[in-house]
Amino acid sequence: MEWAVELMDVRKTYRTGPIEVPALRGISLQVGQGEFVATAGPSGSGKTTLLNIIGGLDRADSGEIWVAGQNLQLMSSGDLAYLRLQRIGFVFQTYNLLPVLTAFENAEFTLLLQGVSASIRRERVEKLFSEIGLSGLENRRPAELSGGQQQRVAVARAMVTEPALILADEPTANLDSATAIALLDVMEHLNRATNTTFIFSTHDPQVMERAHRMIRLQDGQIVSDEARANPGNADVASATRSA
Amino acid sequence: MTSAPLLIKVSWRNLWRNPRGTLLTALALGLGLSLLLISLGLLDGGHEQTIADGVRFGPGHVVIQAKGYQETNSDELLLSARVVSSSEAFLQSDTIKQLVRGVSPRLLATGLLSSAANASGVRIMGVIPQDERAVSLIPQRMIAGSYLSNDTPPSNGRPSAAVIGIDLARKLEVKVGSKVVLMTQALRQPGADTRNSSGDEMESTLLRVTGIFRTGLQAVDANIVQVPLPAAQSLLGVTGGQVTQVALLLAEESDSPLVAKALRRQLTDASVEVLTWRQSIPMLAQILGLDHAFNYIMNGVILAMVGLGILNTILMRVLERHYEFGVCKALGLRPGQLAVMVIGESLALTAISLSLGLVFGLSIEHYFATSGLDLRLLFRRGLPPALVFDPILYSRLSPNRIVWSVSIVFVMATIISFYPALKAARIDLPDALKVL
Repeated sequence: MEWAVELMDVRKTYRTGPIEVPALRGISLQVGQGEFVATAGPSGSGKTTLLNIIGGLDRADSGEIWVAGQNLQLMSSGDLAYLRLQRIGFVFQTYNLLPVLTAFENAEFTLLLQGVSASIRRERVEKLFSEIGLSGLENRRPAELSGGQQQRVAVARAMVTEPALILADEPTANLDSATAIALLDVMEHLNRATNTTFIFSTHDPQVMERAHRMIRLQDGQIVSDEARANPGNADVASATRSA
Repeated sequence: MTSAPLLIKVSWRNLWRNPRGTLLTALALGLGLSLLLISLGLLDGGHEQTIADGVRFGPGHVVIQAKGYQETNSDELLLSARVVSSSEAFLQSDTIKQLVRGVSPRLLATGLLSSAANASGVRIMGVIPQDERAVSLIPQRMIAGSYLSNDTPPSNGRPSAAVIGIDLARKLEVKVGSKVVLMTQALRQPGADTRNSSGDEMESTLLRVTGIFRTGLQAVDANIVQVPLPAAQSLLGVTGGQVTQVALLLAEESDSPLVAKALRRQLTDASVEVLTWRQSIPMLAQILGLDHAFNYIMNGVILAMVGLGILNTILMRVLERHYEFGVCKALGLRPGQLAVMVIGESLALTAISLSLGLVFGLSIEHYFATSGLDLRLLFRRGLPPALVFDPILYSRLSPNRIVWSVSIVFVMATIISFYPALKAARIDLPDALKVL
């Protein structure tokens, strides 16, 4: 079986002068296509480093990282940039929309970089905006949107290229609990509808409940990896409306 | 590049994230360009004026004189009438005529001018008034009486007319209508029989002051006495229509080397030298050269300030958006595209600055070009005697200078923006996204 993500004995240590901080200490895991996975753990446990290494934003010191059938350790920076653009979507903790672009322009940003035609861009963004409750907000700049709306635009930006994998680093950290649940509903809905693999990090127990698989990290190591037979669920449409 | 419109859009909008800051920066950079344009206009105008005035109070754009005169200043070195007529004939030819505004033969010598009150050493200039009017500025600077006239007969028992400078008039305590005596040594002409010639003998003549001029140049106002050429020739014992020099005023200063070269080719006589004003007034050329060098340094300082302004602004904008660039890179923007975005932002800022600078700079330059800058407002205690003779300085800014200034600022801004662009392109992703 080909995994969507496969890590084998991945190690990463950060060095600041003489100080060495081990961030990942021999992580091995496999994530199948369409999984909805949460990584949890205290600050400094290696959650963000793990996501960055899976996303090709950072390089491991050793081990193998396979994403969409490609070994990231053997790829150049340019190839990694191309892989990110074509196959991976990112959702960041602080939304990170470009403030000078409207919600619509932010969402179509990666499609523009891919060279997708204007008509297809419009079609895809409008469809996504409609699905995640952003219709009517297309021409607003990020500063004119609430935190939840901004994060949904960020999810739309990540989803619009129809990537195989979406990595979300504490996507609900800056949202109130109702908005956070609504966002998770959106992500889960997209996961089911498109079979896109989601891996996200979180501290929030309320969010952890929603994951189909829960990976706990501590001091750069996996301390537990459990599949959840019956994760909490909610009505997507109602949650989206309440955001 | 299919992403080019997106990058341009982002660059342009980024400029207006902080409109006040962008406008203030653009204004500051625009003022730099304005300053550069105004400074170049006044510099070129000042130099053009200085050269125009300098040559018109001196030997013209081009001067024909006996070989060795420039080096020795010997009054005895004269041009023959044949050379003078040959030169004048050549200057009337179709190709040269349109380049020449005036031709004035002059006989020069030193002498002593005395009045009832005082005496002073002077430089005697024998001139043909009508010709001199076309070349010299002295006829235009009469402050009392009138300039010499061609109608004045050389001598019919009455004293010959003379015009003198204001400083000389004050020293001699004379005014228009006063009589003065000009004493000089008759010229010893090469090849002449000294036993029969008047060389070495002191000669004097009575002159009546018909006009007083003020040029603002102490060397001219205190020393020059102009008399009609026949009177000077008679006094100095010069026969056969000889003169010391033929001064040429050209329509364009830049034609000086061309006209001088043509004259040299025409006047093959070995005893003649043809000099441009740079050769005949080397000190003026040196002072202007020095002034040019100083102004280039000043312009360099202005450009450096403009450049540092652009660098500071763009670098600050890049550093402020470290995280944002990291996100763009994470989303798949390639380093080259990030660099293009930063360079685009810098060039857009430069374009706004240049537009503002051109509007301000050319407006002020236009004012100085038409109304002039009155230097008397700056130098209330008196103008410096060296460079500018006319107290109103008119700006002259050629299209070439404008294109040069705008191009150099634009090229400089482009080059300068490479550094912040490189910094943005080389952003370390984990560091930008604060991995730990």
